[in-house]
Amino acid sequence: MATELTDDLTMPVPGELARAARRRRRVQTFDEPTGAGRVGRYALLGIVTFLVLFPIYTTVIAALKPGSEVLENPLLPTTVTFDVLVEAWNEGRLGRYLFNSFVVAFIVTVAQVITSVLAAYAFAILEFPGKRIVFLLFVATLLVPAEATLVVNLDTVDGLGWLNTYQGLAVPFLATAFGIFLLRQVFLTLPRDLRDAAAIDGVGHLGFLRHVAVPLVRPTIGALALFSFLGTWNQYLWPNLVINEADMNTVQSGLRLLSRSSLSEPNLVMAGTVIAAVPIFAALFVFQRQLVRGLTAGAVKG
Amino acid sequence: MLPSSLVRRRSVLRLAALAVVGASVAAACSSGESALEIDSGEATPTVAPGDSAGATTDVTPDATSPEETALASTTTVAPLAEFPDCPTGTLDSATGPIEITFWHGMNDVLEDSLIELTDAYNAGQDKVRVTLQNQTGYDAAIDKYIQSSPESRPDIVQLPEYPLQTFAQSDTMIPVGACIEDSGFDTSPFLDRALEAYTFQGVQWAMPFNVSNPVLYYLRPKFEEAGLDPDDSPITLEEMRSASQQIVDSGAATFGWVLDSGTNSGGGWFLEQWFARAGVPYADNDNGRSAPATEVLFDSPTGVELMTFLQDLINDGLAVSVGDNASGQDTFLKLIDPAADGAMTIGSNASLAGVLGAIDGGLAPGLTGADVGVGPMPGPSPEPGVNLGGASLWIVDGKGDEKAAAAWDYITYLITAEAQSQWASQTGYVPVRSDALEIEPLLTTYAEDPRFRVAYDQMVGDVESETSLAPVLGPQREVRVVTANATAAIFNGADVASTLADAAAQANALIASYNQRN
Amino acid sequence: MAADRRRRSGLGDLPLALAMLTPSAVILGVFVLYPLGRAVWLGQQRCDNFGNNCVSQGFGQYVDLFRSNEFQNALGVTVRFALITVPAGVVLGVGLAVLADKYLRGIGVFRGIFSSTVATSVAVASLMWLFLLQPSVGALANIGWFNSLFPSVKSPGWLQDPDTALWAVSASSVWANLGFTFILVTAGLQSIPRDLHEAAAVDGAGGIRRFWSITVPMLGPTLLFVVIVSSTRAFQAYGEIDLLTGGGPQPTNPTTTIPYFIYGQNSPIRNDTGLQAGAAVLLFLLLLVLSGLQLAGIGRRVHYGD
Repeated sequence: MATELTDDLTMPVPGELARAARRRRRVQTFDEPTGAGRVGRYALLGIVTFLVLFPIYTTVIAALKPGSEVLENPLLPTTVTFDVLVEAWNEGRLGRYLFNSFVVAFIVTVAQVITSVLAAYAFAILEFPGKRIVFLLFVATLLVPAEATLVVNLDTVDGLGWLNTYQGLAVPFLATAFGIFLLRQVFLTLPRDLRDAAAIDGVGHLGFLRHVAVPLVRPTIGALALFSFLGTWNQYLWPNLVINEADMNTVQSGLRLLSRSSLSEPNLVMAGTVIAAVPIFAALFVFQRQLVRGLTAGAVKG
Repeated sequence: MLPSSLVRRRSVLRLAALAVVGASVAAACSSGESALEIDSGEATPTVAPGDSAGATTDVTPDATSPEETALASTTTVAPLAEFPDCPTGTLDSATGPIEITFWHGMNDVLEDSLIELTDAYNAGQDKVRVTLQNQTGYDAAIDKYIQSSPESRPDIVQLPEYPLQTFAQSDTMIPVGACIEDSGFDTSPFLDRALEAYTFQGVQWAMPFNVSNPVLYYLRPKFEEAGLDPDDSPITLEEMRSASQQIVDSGAATFGWVLDSGTNSGGGWFLEQWFARAGVPYADNDNGRSAPATEVLFDSPTGVELMTFLQDLINDGLAVSVGDNASGQDTFLKLIDPAADGAMTIGSNASLAGVLGAIDGGLAPGLTGADVGVGPMPGPSPEPGVNLGGASLWIVDGKGDEKAAAAWDYITYLITAEAQSQWASQTGYVPVRSDALEIEPLLTTYAEDPRFRVAYDQMVGDVESETSLAPVLGPQREVRVVTANATAAIFNGADVASTLADAAAQANALIASYNQRN
Repeated sequence: MAADRRRRSGLGDLPLALAMLTPSAVILGVFVLYPLGRAVWLGQQRCDNFGNNCVSQGFGQYVDLFRSNEFQNALGVTVRFALITVPAGVVLGVGLAVLADKYLRGIGVFRGIFSSTVATSVAVASLMWLFLLQPSVGALANIGWFNSLFPSVKSPGWLQDPDTALWAVSASSVWANLGFTFILVTAGLQSIPRDLHEAAAVDGAGGIRRFWSITVPMLGPTLLFVVIVSSTRAFQAYGEIDLLTGGGPQPTNPTTTIPYFIYGQNSPIRNDTGLQAGAAVLLFLLLLVLSGLQLAGIGRRVHYGD
């Protein structure tokens, strides 16, 4: 049974497996409840759905209500207006914050992919003395939490004059051992013959990397890219420390600002929250596969 | 995240983990001491060139006697000589506009008004160009300033009153007193209390710009319903109690007085105000004005009496606390809470415009802005009297003579009677000079809406002694956190005397640590 | 082959490897390893308010800091926070994944909904919960019948009551991480071969029996990963505290976690660079111990297939 698993993909994509499983056994009763079991399960699913969505629901309702109605009836959209959203976008500067977050996340994502691909290839395919130790050193950085480095990093960034700049927000994160580890793992699964064949044809490492290796591991790169983007987009503490000019805030530190200055207008804060959340919800909806792949990359096979 | 391939080294890891666990368990018993009591040894920092006597704990040998220092409205020459110069004449010979940056903490309405003033300044002359940089708040501005390297500092920074000692001792500022001296600026129309608030050891460090102080906010309909005169708000603490009693008894509101234990309000700032009102020292060395404070005195009988009074109010159901009021708006929100509301609360007069705007915007159905009443801050004595809050303008040193002169020029603009009249009228801040009241638009504003005047009226008055000024402490913000915690504990029913004593001990540890390191 | 021989000779691809490793090495060196080293050194110094004039005090300062009241408080809060959020997160994640692991029409929609919180950042999720729980203008506080059932949601408010504040913050955190855990566990479930269940069912094992004997053991690696990531996150909790309670209702501050103790707005060490660095290093060591214990303790029992 375990061998059956490893015969398939090295990095099983859950959706595919599930579909395959469904194709093979549709008649298993424990996989497909009937009758009372079916109704019960739907009911349970419904209740849980309500509980999971409740905070999102009340937030959206509040974001669409005018100020005078916020305190009445938080459960029903008594009046729907988009004015508050517009106000959050303009006066709350959320448009600008979204832009800042996007720029920084984009820079970091591209950089992390590039640096990780290069380093992972070196560890996986190249041979050089001390490789093991150096790799362990790289991986060791995974153990260091951001909080431990912030104090000094802030100093460094300030010394470079990079407070309130995109560089200041992005540069400390241009490389990541997680990406290196992930890509090394998948580079290691490339068959030896591929590399040997390329060597015979006189293709150097860089050419091999560019024309063969990278295209082959594209799904994993996609997962890493999504992971990097999301991770950078969601950063909270670092932007708060680095940014003090209102216009340079990212979405997360901007939300903090909004919540402090406008609690007497809770609908405005909620509108800001909705605006901040929508892009990611949309992006993750589109990139579901990559997301699952990225998240499960460390987990299932360990 | 640890890749599971490391599990293969699990025996080594396990041993290491056990060793570390063992070591930490051994050390794990809490020492029962505060982190701030960790000794910083003989930490006499290297004295920077030009360092003044103010950097050590010795009393400045040049300081004049305490009474003289507090009451003199001009600076004395001797202490100033030890601090950086302010060559105000440099501006005359400068070519081209000098660019200066101003870090401020004004938001919303306040920021709009500041932008208007600054645009007018920039347009009205071509020697100086000011760029505003909103730091989103005073604490943020302080943090950023402290973190920043000399190159990234601004030319002017707006700072509140509580970091006075820190920045006075920082060797990074030019005292505005030097500029006043150099240019022969006339400070006579200025409010005594406003100027004195920013003097430390005889030196005028900053120019007050936006002055606020605490006032009593109340809802007039609830006063009327309780049979109280909405034009005559309570002024002593006893009157606050009886008014609250009437309000609760009549059912006009669930509670009379809405309290909070925030650091810059009910748990810190207001306490300092009440001590000053009662003429009782809050800290030693004349409230930290004649020499850096070394200990706090708020656990005195006055403090115990005051906090017991507030605790009794809560126990008797006449008052309620909304906690640490992190947003600064919880107290106001409690006034209009549909289920369990209050009738009165103390808040900064700077919030007046915002409160009126929110209520007129419909946040509380049935109420309009006109229903909001404003009265002088109640306190231990029947004479109104407050110390200021708000913020002031500081000139940063090390930027060159031209920038210093430019900064001074901009500052003098912001404190002209015309600018102050406009500023006070638009924001509700108290003008720093009395002649601003005679000019439009403030003249009309005060005439049309006397509520905006309340804060000003309770601030005119001479400074009798140090104890009628707010205390100056090194780690003032941290001490306020300590008093805020103590206030919250007391509001929850803790024993007043022991809580205050503990708080005083903690505050003293903070001050000792600060004095050791700075 | 010639290429193999070259590779085995020792130097191998060193020049190229150096070139490919340098970008990552520089970034990781400058922004991870150097700061850690410097923080370790800073942690035994005391500096003035501006971070200058630092004076060494000896490494005993670390012990003093670790044993101080404030740090012990923060440690207690952090551990409590982890003890609430990690098991709750695992149980709910597994529960939801098992619930949705059936062939039903529209199950994809439900799976999508259960995953949706992965799209929320700390700030977004915390603000949503702030709005729910705020005692004056919050949603729950303004629903009449809910108020009557739970008067404490309004007075003093679940975030303002020292006894419930940490639970409220934990609820927000668990909710925010639910999507993440759900996705992982679902993936793990789907990698369990169906014939295992089939065979067990044929042998007469009921649903619950099969869950404990097959599902849970086979989920081992996934659960270990979830536990490690969740507990690391719990020890790094900052944003939710910053937005929801600002460190916790005074005076006991029951929501001040270690990161909030270091970087929070009202922290007593915020102007003390030396102690800040020291506390940050202590956090690093704690996380090290935590991960080590988890791998050694749980990792041992995890079954990795063949």
